[in-house]
Amino acid sequence: MISTDPWIWLSALLSLSCFSLLYGDNKFFRWAETTYTAAVVGHSVVTGLLTLRDRLYPLYTGTNLLLIIPAILGVLSLLVVWRQYAWMASVSMAVLIGVNTGISIRTLMGTDIIGNTRAVIGEASTIVAADASMMTKFGYLIRVVFTITALLYFLFTIFPRKGTVATAFDVIRDVGKYALIIYMGISLGNSMQQFVGTATSAIYRLTGLWLGLG
Amino acid sequence: MAGIPELKSEWIWGVLIVAFLIPAVNPLGVDFPDSPITNEIYDLIENLPEGSLIVMGGSGVIAFDIESSPGMIACVRQMERLGYKLVTCPLGSETPQYHKFIIDSAKVDVSAGGSWVYGEDYALLPYLPGGTAALVAYLEDFKGTVSVDMRGIPISELPIFDDFNNYEDIDIWICPHWGFVTIIRICTGEYGLTAISFAQSTAYAFFSPYMQAYPGQVYMTNGYLGGAQYERLNDMKGLGHMVQDSYTIVSVLIAGFIVLGNVTMVMKGEEEE
Repeated sequence: MISTDPWIWLSALLSLSCFSLLYGDNKFFRWAETTYTAAVVGHSVVTGLLTLRDRLYPLYTGTNLLLIIPAILGVLSLLVVWRQYAWMASVSMAVLIGVNTGISIRTLMGTDIIGNTRAVIGEASTIVAADASMMTKFGYLIRVVFTITALLYFLFTIFPRKGTVATAFDVIRDVGKYALIIYMGISLGNSMQQFVGTATSAIYRLTGLWLGLG
Repeated sequence: MAGIPELKSEWIWGVLIVAFLIPAVNPLGVDFPDSPITNEIYDLIENLPEGSLIVMGGSGVIAFDIESSPGMIACVRQMERLGYKLVTCPLGSETPQYHKFIIDSAKVDVSAGGSWVYGEDYALLPYLPGGTAALVAYLEDFKGTVSVDMRGIPISELPIFDDFNNYEDIDIWICPHWGFVTIIRICTGEYGLTAISFAQSTAYAFFSPYMQAYPGQVYMTNGYLGGAQYERLNDMKGLGHMVQDSYTIVSVLIAGFIVLGNVTMVMKGEEEE
């Protein structure tokens, strides 16, 4: 049965208007695009106001007066739109970027570099482990070889350019190049899967929620 | 060889839309394989003690996080069945709405026929700006970081937060968003929490190596397929199952278009020669 909820009707009309771009640019798509953009801006404004209420609540109630410091930093960041005093926003940006970068660099070293190196070493040991099946060992062999050769592909400066050794490294880098190409293909395939699923979700909103079919 | 007529893009879009409409109107019920990792996630959550506190949090965009929703909705129903508690940690500006969408879609609240009471069994928190720093603050000192819930109610008035002080009170972190790598780096890397993600397909390709970096601590399902697998484990049919039908039809179509495109390209090359 067709829905009687006006919000579902609005959602359906916006979805159909967006899909109409597949045929060509038209007024319906422009309307949907403008409506969506306005909704995003409005949502951002409301989110900002609610965030002020929620994050500075202890300041309003007097339970944590130290929050005056981030409140001041927040006001300073708004001064970026006033050319004469835009330099004051740099203070807020410096604190924001400095704190996040400091935390991220430490954790990035721990997970991305040490963690993944540990994983490759662990998988390499599985290749020679006696209790793993041949298919498992072969799978890990491919993963380790592709990881190392793909990393070596990006080293352009320290390997010899002439001679037998250079030829051997060229072969290794070629393997790495194809490993990267295969990875990009898999990523593209996964992205297509994601978009197919998103389109299915949109179609379901039209057929299931709006028209009551299926 | 006979010439292949030029296909207009509108015809291709029309064929694809019909391909999407068929399973939406008449579900095919296509079968799909199991995954040992999805089964492991299910067993991990199934074997937690009653009353466990699970945090659903991260940062993402609703348009893409929809892909994580089938698995997350099934997982929330599993949590309700097992008597766990759920708190959110929205680190993105669109995330609070997504968390509410998950709760509403799972129909676990008493108003929707479930058994969860807001404030006792689950709570929705407002957007926490600050990215990584906000996440660290949330884990180190929850009550110093969060003062009110999404509705503006002080957390001191909600019983679910009585015993929630820091990361030691969290049993599992579930991230149904793109920003899972931040959760891995902070929650798992720094604080040793087990992290699960009902990952989007593209995110799975990027982040699956972390499962090898942290075996037994980081788990991921793969896109809508993972969501469908988790729905099946929880004996329900939802968007995940629906998408498997679409995958089947569209995969055949796309393969056909690729063959057609390559044949056309070869024929045009011969003509130019």
